[in-house]
Amino acid sequence: MRLTGYRRPNGRVGVRNHVVVLPVDDLSNKVAEGVAALIPGVVALTHPYGRLQFGEDLELTFRTLAGHGANPNVYGAVVIGIEPKWAERVASEIALTGKPVEAFAIEGQGDLRTIERASRVAYRLLQEASEQEREPVEIRELVLSIKCGESDPTLGLAGNPALGKVVDYLVGEGATVIFGETSELTGAEHLIAARCATPEVREAFLTTYRSYVQMIESKGVDLLGSQPTEGNIRGGLTTIEEKALGNIQKTGTSPIQKVLRPAEAVGPGEGLVFMDSSSAAAEMITLAVAGGSVLHFFTTGQGNVVGHPLVPVVKISPNPKTCEAMKEHIDVPLPDLLWGEISLDVAARRILEVFEQTVRGRLTAAELLGHREFVLTRLYPSA
Amino acid sequence: MSKAMAHRRLDHVAVAVFDLEAGEEVDVVFSEGGDPLRLRIQEDIPLGHKVALKDIQEGEVVVEYGEAIGRATAFIPAGGYVHVHNLKSLRWDFGGRR
Repeated sequence: MRLTGYRRPNGRVGVRNHVVVLPVDDLSNKVAEGVAALIPGVVALTHPYGRLQFGEDLELTFRTLAGHGANPNVYGAVVIGIEPKWAERVASEIALTGKPVEAFAIEGQGDLRTIERASRVAYRLLQEASEQEREPVEIRELVLSIKCGESDPTLGLAGNPALGKVVDYLVGEGATVIFGETSELTGAEHLIAARCATPEVREAFLTTYRSYVQMIESKGVDLLGSQPTEGNIRGGLTTIEEKALGNIQKTGTSPIQKVLRPAEAVGPGEGLVFMDSSSAAAEMITLAVAGGSVLHFFTTGQGNVVGHPLVPVVKISPNPKTCEAMKEHIDVPLPDLLWGEISLDVAARRILEVFEQTVRGRLTAAELLGHREFVLTRLYPSA
Repeated sequence: MSKAMAHRRLDHVAVAVFDLEAGEEVDVVFSEGGDPLRLRIQEDIPLGHKVALKDIQEGEVVVEYGEAIGRATAFIPAGGYVHVHNLKSLRWDFGGRR
């Protein structure tokens, strides 16, 4: 496989070359959008949160924002905050990667002056980014992630086992692959626990899973009204156990080496790792990208359209109706696998061919269609 | 060409890989290999939805992927349609108490 990418000052490898404008709070979105309007080509990661958060919920927001600036698909970052302190904190964490980053505060300056000052930096970073050249890179230098969405039984039967073969191959070549979706392991958690590499990892996994179930039950509710979703049920999935057993097919057969907190950073060479995360597509992908994922594999049955502003999302579907009706969203159609006309190995090779092209710069369906979902996970309400 | 596929030989359900019509006979193939199973379809079953491979009794734990996926809430004949109307999760299963 001949892969190319961008090697960053800390040695990490990206497959895209973005300059980001990161508002640390809702009030700074306007300035971030102003910079992106003046300097087309930079990516503004706007979001509705960041004020009066506290404790682990605030730490998760910081980790997610700083993780996006630090992601190897990013050349450099401009951080905007209403106040200087939090903007500087996020910027200083990004600066640990050795990348260019500058922070601006709006208080005492106003939107217009801040937009001008930040735009001058964005202008310089975007030009510098354009001078970067792709170089040969190896699979073992990459952090990748996987998730399925709008699932149906065609995934458990065909799409996910094919992706599982791909994951086994990439892990064997030394990549890190992140999977998550804590709620969607319900009914298959014993199989994941059995694959943990050590008793310590198993204990960490089971503690994470059980505390999630306890959180649900502490609200006096269960997940049965939302897992499986209406779309899952329309597609033929009946119970959360069936959904989970289909879901885990895409993790392949490698041992699980680590349990990560949401948005926790992970480097290459770690193998298959579990990240505690929501099963909602955009939230999970956002957390994985904050952790360092530079490319995401996404299997879909009924046709989830999710993308991400910084990371190519490769869509795989074995559902013939979806591949026909929503073909502009699907990078790797696999109805012939569902029909038994090709083997899992052939399907895995097809996914890997698209992976190679995508790493080298070919745009995915979600990139072409401008799907840029960036969604912060909240743990509890603001103060 | 097979129109339904199951994971394990001992599974109770298969998945339709084409839209199936009541009365048609299909050969169910198994991902883990072995001979196909001839089955008469009892109800229309859309692509991606499940068909029973054997008679399933009310209250029986239903198996797919070699694992429990829920409990039958009604008798389901071989070739019948298995979905939310006759299969419920075992999680948060309070025996009908709520």
